[in-house]
Amino acid sequence: MHGRGNTIGLRLRELIYDLQDFYLLSFRGSLGIVSKPFYFKDTIEQMDYAGAGSFLIIVLISLFVGMALSLQLSAELSTLGLKMYTGKVVGISIIRELGPVVVAVVYAGRVGSGIASELGSMVLGHQVDTLRVFGVDPTKKLVTPRIVSALLMVPVLTIIGDAVSLLGGYYIAVNVGHQSGTFYWSSIREVLNFENVFTGILKPFVFGYLIACICCFMGLSARGGSVGMRQSTTRAVVFSMIFIVITDFVLTRALLYILGFSI
Amino acid sequence: MIEFDHVSFSYGAKRVLKELNFSIGPAERVAILGGSGDGKTTILKIILGLIKPDSGRVLIDGEDITTRDEDDLREARMKFSMVFQEGALFDSLTVKENVAFCLREYTHLSEEEIEEKVRGILSTVGVESAMRLMPEELSGGMHRRVALARSLVAFDPKMFLYDEPTTGLDPINADNICRLIIDLAHNGKGFIVVTHKVIDALKVAKRFLFLKNGTLFFDGGRDELMTAADPDIRLFISELSCGTDTQGAGILSQGGRNV
Repeated sequence: MHGRGNTIGLRLRELIYDLQDFYLLSFRGSLGIVSKPFYFKDTIEQMDYAGAGSFLIIVLISLFVGMALSLQLSAELSTLGLKMYTGKVVGISIIRELGPVVVAVVYAGRVGSGIASELGSMVLGHQVDTLRVFGVDPTKKLVTPRIVSALLMVPVLTIIGDAVSLLGGYYIAVNVGHQSGTFYWSSIREVLNFENVFTGILKPFVFGYLIACICCFMGLSARGGSVGMRQSTTRAVVFSMIFIVITDFVLTRALLYILGFSI
Repeated sequence: MIEFDHVSFSYGAKRVLKELNFSIGPAERVAILGGSGDGKTTILKIILGLIKPDSGRVLIDGEDITTRDEDDLREARMKFSMVFQEGALFDSLTVKENVAFCLREYTHLSEEEIEEKVRGILSTVGVESAMRLMPEELSGGMHRRVALARSLVAFDPKMFLYDEPTTGLDPINADNICRLIIDLAHNGKGFIVVTHKVIDALKVAKRFLFLKNGTLFFDGGRDELMTAADPDIRLFISELSCGTDTQGAGILSQGGRNV
């Protein structure tokens, strides 16, 4: 019993140290955005990998998410005689909720896992130590460009994803649900108000920042060869996804309150 | 130059170094020998301040580096040039970009000047032709040579640190790397080579430290090492007397290469 208590104590202490390291890394990585030296080339490379590289998969997934959502809503709303609201409900769901979350999850899976495995392999291959020996701050060189890239690319990808989802929804609403295309787009225009757009743009910033910080931390914490790297990559993606959905709920609740929506 | 004063270090529950005491002068040519997991690489990392010991002091030119934070360690690190095991080249950069890394970070040289300097250094280590290649396209020997070249560009180090520089190389490539290590240690510059290959240690070093169970078990010259009675050291030295290893036998018969 005593030994078990010790183990729990040790794990708790490790968790506290890990949290402390995570906050420190996130803080120093963010501070790097406004302090020299600036690694523009590394940032552009990361943006290319994360943004341009994710474009096609985001388009594909968003298209089918929009189509499936429109199909489900058309079927359900038509039984209630409310089929004309398909565009409005699809628009709100995509812009406020599904668009940011789907893009963030895809980003965590594609880019976040890449960040964790790349940094993990740099740690295990002593490349991070080499940077330190050369007097280069690994946080500024490796973490800051990835944070900047995520802060810019996740919102951009979300806007693209939202647009493609709405197009997919339009295709189904018109061709399968036999609704008026003009009415669909006028419903979408109605939901493109400040509150919805603000909600849909704020969330990707927060998600992007979280994904970059979590995945960089997990990558830089990799220990113990290929098994350790596998674990850190898995943890990076799993923790990113968990934090995306938790943060999404917290943000949704806070924004509904701040923007004056009544529930 | 380097002084370890009762230095202990643990990885979690595993105690790797126990109350280690030794000092190494700036021009010394030292080989640290020992089995896997005996803390050889850990010593190099502690010298560079990459990890902090649990207890004890590490003095570099009389200054204790264990109390310094990351930003203050840069000055101490610039006194050394480190070549990690297997080179630790940056995967995403070409050989030229790897070697030019510090030039780009710390100088304002033009592209032509960087190219010229990198070419010169690569030709010193005999891999000029690999300038445009990526690290994954290099053989093990070329990898180490490029890493050596990169370490030369860094600063004007007082001492070189090599972590297992010949591990995984064939005898010819290993011998070439040993020659390079000796050639680079000119103008009174010393080095520390961490290795478990006695044959290569004998080629380059004059002083030998032998680690066993985290303690400094042996500290002496070539002759003392060769006549040591300890079974673990004898086991290491037996590598030299293998019938297939004519190079090692040669060293033994000559009493070691005169470096």
